[in-house]
Amino acid sequence: MQRLRLIVRLALRNVRRQARRSALTAAAMVVGLALLVMSRSLADGAHDEWIEAGVRLGSGHLAFQAPEFRARHAIEEHLSAADRAAVEAALADTVIAPHLKAVAPRLEITALASAAAAAVPVTVVGVDPAREPAFSEMDQRIVEGRYLEPHDHLQGFVGVELAQRLRLRLGDRLVLTAAGPDGAITDQLVRVVGTFRTAIPEVDQSLIHIPLATAQAWLGVDSGVTTIAVLLDASWNADRFTRRLQEALAPHADRIAVLSWRAASPELDAAVRMDDYGDYVFHGILFIIIALAIVNTVLMSVLYRTREFGVVRALGLRKRDTALLVLTEGLILTGISGLVGVLLGLAVTWGFFHDGFDLTAFMGDQMTAAGAVIDPVFIPQFRVVQLIQSAVSVAIVGLVASLYPAWRATRIDMAEAMKFEA
Amino acid sequence: MTTPTNAAVRTDTVWKIFEHDGITVEAVRGVTVRIEPGEFVVLAGPSGSGKTTLLNLFGGLTRPSRGRVWIDEQDITDMSERQLARLRLERLGFVFQAYNLLPVLTALENAEFSLLLQGVDEEERQRRVSALFEKIGIAGLEDRRPGKLSGGQQQRVAVARAVVSEPALVLADEPTANLDSASSDALLDVMVRLNADLGTTFVFATHDTRLMERAKRLIRLVDGAIASDHRR
Repeated sequence: MQRLRLIVRLALRNVRRQARRSALTAAAMVVGLALLVMSRSLADGAHDEWIEAGVRLGSGHLAFQAPEFRARHAIEEHLSAADRAAVEAALADTVIAPHLKAVAPRLEITALASAAAAAVPVTVVGVDPAREPAFSEMDQRIVEGRYLEPHDHLQGFVGVELAQRLRLRLGDRLVLTAAGPDGAITDQLVRVVGTFRTAIPEVDQSLIHIPLATAQAWLGVDSGVTTIAVLLDASWNADRFTRRLQEALAPHADRIAVLSWRAASPELDAAVRMDDYGDYVFHGILFIIIALAIVNTVLMSVLYRTREFGVVRALGLRKRDTALLVLTEGLILTGISGLVGVLLGLAVTWGFFHDGFDLTAFMGDQMTAAGAVIDPVFIPQFRVVQLIQSAVSVAIVGLVASLYPAWRATRIDMAEAMKFEA
Repeated sequence: MTTPTNAAVRTDTVWKIFEHDGITVEAVRGVTVRIEPGEFVVLAGPSGSGKTTLLNLFGGLTRPSRGRVWIDEQDITDMSERQLARLRLERLGFVFQAYNLLPVLTALENAEFSLLLQGVDEEERQRRVSALFEKIGIAGLEDRRPGKLSGGQQQRVAVARAVVSEPALVLADEPTANLDSASSDALLDVMVRLNADLGTTFVFATHDTRLMERAKRLIRLVDGAIASDHRR
């Protein structure tokens, strides 16, 4: 213990002794880490917003469906009232419930929409008008008219490009034709109550929302739904909650599948991962810069102190203690710089971007990617896990970067070291 | 024939050969020597005669090319680095020409370095270092860093560091080379007194005639071999 205390004391004083060199290295590391914290918090914020935008138009962070629904997309693959009750019970889990932002039951089917002008294939989604706006925010995308309301029965909320294609105006009628669970073709008449624009052409050209009760009656599935879509407070909770819910619903696994947004929206997942890889490259470059700064400082310090290392070895310090001394110096430098870098990164990110990092000048008012409409104002997100990861990563970089100088210190020839002039 | 009992250090036909860029230098050539406990020995000779190399062989700082070295009857020739480090810590003290104090430690911390590595508790360390500083005339300088000490004071701290753990053998390489004559004499007084009081064995490598005059045994080296060996 005494030996360790001596090594730490020597390391601390050696770092302080080369104050200018240490400060320069620390400055490089501080700036590197601050950039890392800043880029990660902005990237996390951007990704979360991107994912949320994507899952709001899709099937949520979590989706409950019949196991074959994704593959067959057939109405007979729906969740029954009993299945819905099991899902509701699972979502009441005290760990999960506080993280729920919205739960939306949906009955989704591919149909043919016919009007006087034309007939086109569409995606009809039966929604609960009371719960849906909190989920998909369709009521904020209105071009004309209004969104569905709880008392509505034969109303339809239609994508603006679809309405144009079918030459529909508010109050006009259209007929929806689809096959029910028994395969029988069945029709449903609805009137256009409003039109919307999401900025995603494939959605605006083909989506129609109608009241859930109307859809269930039309297709003859009682209170069945094809999807229960769940919006969470943060996308990074999705994976662990998916696993937890899969365990909770294991007895119903033959009838209920739990999907995270990654499985439900693989194209969005791939796009986010691709963006993540870009960030990793940037982080990798930062780590290399930090590592080079540490190697330079610690190695220079070792070479400069060749005689001292010879002396302490002659006095009885073991090789491994000599290596530990150098590693400790690297870790001290990394630790102090890491702490300052994280704090600086937090301060700068919060100071400049707490109202959001506005990329409107480059992206316009909104942009779409992987089926999501992205707000060009990114709100940074600070996560303890992310900060710890950054700090631990830098500590590992510091440790690894100090290995070579430490090894060099153990290779110093004591007799030769005594002749060394700094 | 020598008896291998109780020698502070002894060698048997020890050689040290350096090879660099194809050039071979025989720094020490077949030296056989035995130094008894409590001796005050000077290795003298011109530059390049092998004094420092022989001293380094005694201290396990370099390994012989041929022959063997014993410290207190322990054969150190083939010892592992770890065993050598332990031996140096427990049995040997070193004083170097350029003082070689650690600049980031105070005089007291430098002097107690070996005791710290040995795990001696703080109270005992302070007691031993204070007594030694008093004895060698540097009391009151405990908290000064080497940069705030004169050459003579630094070398006394280095001597204190070498003897504080009461090693059996102190090896000193040109300890007076950087000192003026007054500081040099004072330092020699200290070492003579420590030799007499503690019975510590001192082996010096030096050109300094004053040190040679005070040696109880003078070994002259020429071209890496012992040319003469006189006891007084």
